[in-house]
Amino acid sequence: MVEIFINDRSIKVPEGITVLKAAERAGIHIPHICYHEAFAPEGSCRMCLVEIEGHLCLELACATQVKEGMKVFTETENVRQARQGVLEFLLAEHPMDCPICDKAGECTLQDYYEQYGLFESTFMEQKERKDKNVPLGKGLILDRERCVLCTRCVRFLRDITQTEELGVFERGVYSEIGIFDQRLIDNNYAGNLTELCPVGAITDKDFRFKTRNWFLEKGASICPLCSRGCNIFIEHHPGFARFDVPKRVYRITSRVTSREKDQKEKGYWICDIGRYGYSYMDQDRAEKIVLKQGDSALDPKKAVTYAADQVKKLIYKNKLNRLGVISNTWLTNEELFLVKKIFTENLESQKVFFPTTAQREADDLLLTSDRTPNKKGAQEIGFSLEAISEGQVFDGTELLFVFWASPFDLDQLTGLMSKIKEVQTKILFTPFEREWNKDFDLVIPTAVPAEKAGSFTNEDERIQHFGPVLYSPGQARAEWEWLVSLGKEIKVDFKSYARLSSPFDVFQMMKKKIKFFGK
Amino acid sequence: MIDVLIILVKFVGAIVWFLVLSLYLTWAERKESAVMQDRVGANRANFFGIRVLGLFQPFADAIKMMTKEDFTPEFSKKFLHNLAPFLSFFFVAVTIATIPFGSPIQISGKEIPLQVVDLNVGILFVLAFLALSIYGVILSGWVSNNRWTLLGGLRGSAQLISYEVALGLSLIGIVMVFPSLQFSEIVGFQSEVLFGWLPKWGIFLQPLGFIIFLMAAMAESERVPFDLPEGESEIVGFFTEYGGLKYGLYMFTDFMKVLIISCLLTTLFFGGYHVPWLSAEGFHFPWGGEWLLPYWLVVVFQVIMFNLKVFFFCWLQILVRWTYPRFRYDQLMDFGWKFLIPLSLFNIAATAFFMSL
Amino acid sequence: MFRLFGYFIEIIRGILITARHFIVNMVFHILNLFGIKTKRKGAFTIQYPEQKTEIAERHRSLHRLMKREDGKPRCVACMLCETVCPSECIYIEATEDPDPEIQKYPSTFIIDLSRCCFCGFCVEACPEDAIRMDTGEVEFAQYNRKDMVLDLESLLNEPK
Ligand code: SF4
Ligand code: SF4
Ligand code: SF4
Ligand code: SF4
Ligand code: FES
Repeated sequence: MVEIFINDRSIKVPEGITVLKAAERAGIHIPHICYHEAFAPEGSCRMCLVEIEGHLCLELACATQVKEGMKVFTETENVRQARQGVLEFLLAEHPMDCPICDKAGECTLQDYYEQYGLFESTFMEQKERKDKNVPLGKGLILDRERCVLCTRCVRFLRDITQTEELGVFERGVYSEIGIFDQRLIDNNYAGNLTELCPVGAITDKDFRFKTRNWFLEKGASICPLCSRGCNIFIEHHPGFARFDVPKRVYRITSRVTSREKDQKEKGYWICDIGRYGYSYMDQDRAEKIVLKQGDSALDPKKAVTYAADQVKKLIYKNKLNRLGVISNTWLTNEELFLVKKIFTENLESQKVFFPTTAQREADDLLLTSDRTPNKKGAQEIGFSLEAISEGQVFDGTELLFVFWASPFDLDQLTGLMSKIKEVQTKILFTPFEREWNKDFDLVIPTAVPAEKAGSFTNEDERIQHFGPVLYSPGQARAEWEWLVSLGKEIKVDFKSYARLSSPFDVFQMMKKKIKFFGK
Repeated sequence: MIDVLIILVKFVGAIVWFLVLSLYLTWAERKESAVMQDRVGANRANFFGIRVLGLFQPFADAIKMMTKEDFTPEFSKKFLHNLAPFLSFFFVAVTIATIPFGSPIQISGKEIPLQVVDLNVGILFVLAFLALSIYGVILSGWVSNNRWTLLGGLRGSAQLISYEVALGLSLIGIVMVFPSLQFSEIVGFQSEVLFGWLPKWGIFLQPLGFIIFLMAAMAESERVPFDLPEGESEIVGFFTEYGGLKYGLYMFTDFMKVLIISCLLTTLFFGGYHVPWLSAEGFHFPWGGEWLLPYWLVVVFQVIMFNLKVFFFCWLQILVRWTYPRFRYDQLMDFGWKFLIPLSLFNIAATAFFMSL
Repeated sequence: MFRLFGYFIEIIRGILITARHFIVNMVFHILNLFGIKTKRKGAFTIQYPEQKTEIAERHRSLHRLMKREDGKPRCVACMLCETVCPSECIYIEATEDPDPEIQKYPSTFIIDLSRCCFCGFCVEACPEDAIRMDTGEVEFAQYNRKDMVLDLESLLNEPK
């Protein structure tokens, strides 16, 4: 630990870190453009200049290491002038496209100009015209006029994905970012470039011009598309008073948690599958409870009663071995726990079946081969996923509960449909309106992970909690809500369900029962 | 038989006069307020393109009121809800019966007073019925089953109680100087002259009483600045749940009150139908001149004079209504109890003192 | 008590003022009624549909969208007007323009006049001077709410 002084404030920081990081710890923001926590300092933008006592010229905060007793000043007249100068040069060739620039609103350059610039431009010359629409591959579009040549993008592709598709071409004022020949960017992490780029030079087709980012609200969630469980922000549009917006979710961005900060190569990024695979949240959603026979308009209470009655019938006939459950690993820990509690413990059915999901190709950065979020959780809760075979589930089964929360893996269930159809009574819990819904006696709409609270256990055995970001549509409710009411209604163990009013309560119960979650 | 018929004819005549005038009072109010405020006022209602200063406006209003939905809220008591406006209307309409319009006329030897009924307790009758009309307000406020209307109704009753006292006390002075409760007699007393030239009108004998009566009466009519029961900008008022014709009836009752108050002011303080220095034979001017007229012409003069006086007071009331802002409720109460009532008591004492001299 | 007295004087003065207005105006009204021309009128009223006033140059009237020389909308769908609009009555959807110089243009541009409060913030906010409220058009009341919703087409072809 060394002691340094920033703006006359003494702070203690570990040896060897840079001035910029030290200042960040003290809550002092030093403007920077090219520096990114995940990379080694580059020192190309000169935005981070600070004054250090005893040094003749201004120093780069992003690249200077702290020394014992160092005195740093971040807001002196010199620094201010230097910043203005840097900004003026950056903006000299900048197109000022803000009205049509997707970055506007979260653009570093804009923010810094507001905070530290606010000068009248003294440049009289015409601005240099460059290509404004260079396709980079994977839907990315480069605008060379807006680029400030911070080389974050180059460094990302060099250090993180190690694919090196982008490079700086030409020299001096003619420098520009580009791809080699026609080798377009083609890796699973390209989407990060839009987030990474401090300005609006790289934009992606998916978000381009769809809306403005200040309309969006950020909600913290967990990506459910593979068992890594990356932390994400779901950026959604709350809608306008008078007009309908075409969709709710507009983009997914990465969320850096302190725990992940140490794993540079992993913590800051998310893969493109997670980034662009959000359309399921708004497409084909089941919104109504559908009962095949009888009256169509069903309130949630009646639906639960119906399901519970089916169970009770079996109880009276003492035929609980004819109860089967098809579950999957898109459910949260809490929900899987409830499934286990109701069906395996209360009703003593052994037939909880997890259809095997196809393993896909993993890559060596983040994406895993298991594309469901909670396989680990299911295992820890005590389901042995392969123990029950398909044949056992359908063997003599009269009542079948199917939980199908996955928006993908359609053929898994399609394959089972012929057998499911033969079962006397079958009840489906699903967030989606699919072809097979009509074959079930009762379809109960449920929420996607973005709409519920709970936790997933990821591949690295980390339990990650998340809260709801969106409202679930229509009558849809999270599975845990349905399960708790079902548990109450079956009345085998009414008391313990009556206490559960949130996933948090369920988790408290889990903590006591299962050692893994009690850690 | 013939007497009943005569009364009936007179009653119809009086009520028609009353209603038509009230109807046009709505027009007058619009026009007067407009002129006061440098505007033109309603002038668009036309009949085959003829506008005549918007004189058809009251009819347009009436048609609108009638064709609007007659709405009775689900949560109210239907019968009473419908009854309330008619109650108000009825009690006010009846009071016109006691107002004398002119000297009695003779038709084929029969003397017919130009007054529907000449009650010997005319003043009490009018006061009583004006006070009764508040029942319409209270009833509507209560029966609409709405907090605002209830507030309006309560305010109305509290206000009436407060000002009824001052109103009654201010009239005691008049009854003292003109010892009668009968309108025809009071008017009769006022035909005399004082000091040989000044008409012996109530205003000259009871200036303070006049002022108190004017204020208290305007408070009774529940129009701005005393429109607390309505208070459009705060509680909307006792008729919140009324619409269409029934709402119109309340508005109309308001104007009828203005008119009846003008009639009372004229009758009690401004010599009723009397024209100064005009007696049954004709004018006897104080400077000695004389202009003899046939009796029927005298009566015509008197009726016209009566109407002119009434119009003046209507004008005055509308002027007041469009000049002042609304009282605050505590100010209203203070004004009634702490100012008008002591003042009217003082007026009685002073009158008694002067009369004993 | 004295204060009360002063209060009454003011009250009387008030009614005298309104009465003066009434009488003076009435005199002019009557003179005019008899066809006597006076310099001053009895009322300031403008008989609107027949008589119209000049609309001030900066009056905020019906919106219009400006065009480029080639007839395309000048608007670049930056949605700043949509953002600033206090009544939330503007709705824009943007599309990619093949011309890299333009890049972005509105495919949908809706103004719901039935909500608009004519604050003019949209004009103020527009970085492209693409929306203006200078048509001088003030009579656009409709019998139907739907007719109060202007789309891109009608906004572009507003008269001026
Ligand atoms: S990069 Fe930033 S400053 Fe440049 S046009 Fe885009 S928003 Fe504006
Ligand atoms: S494209 Fe963006 S990230 Fe890449 S160098 Fe330019 S400004 Fe930096
Ligand atoms: S004038 Fe104001 S309310 Fe109307 S569209 Fe423009 S910003 Fe919105
Ligand atoms: S502010 Fe101007 S350029 Fe931007 S969307 Fe509105 S009209 Fe178009
Ligand atoms: S942040 Fe230090 S030079 Fe760019």
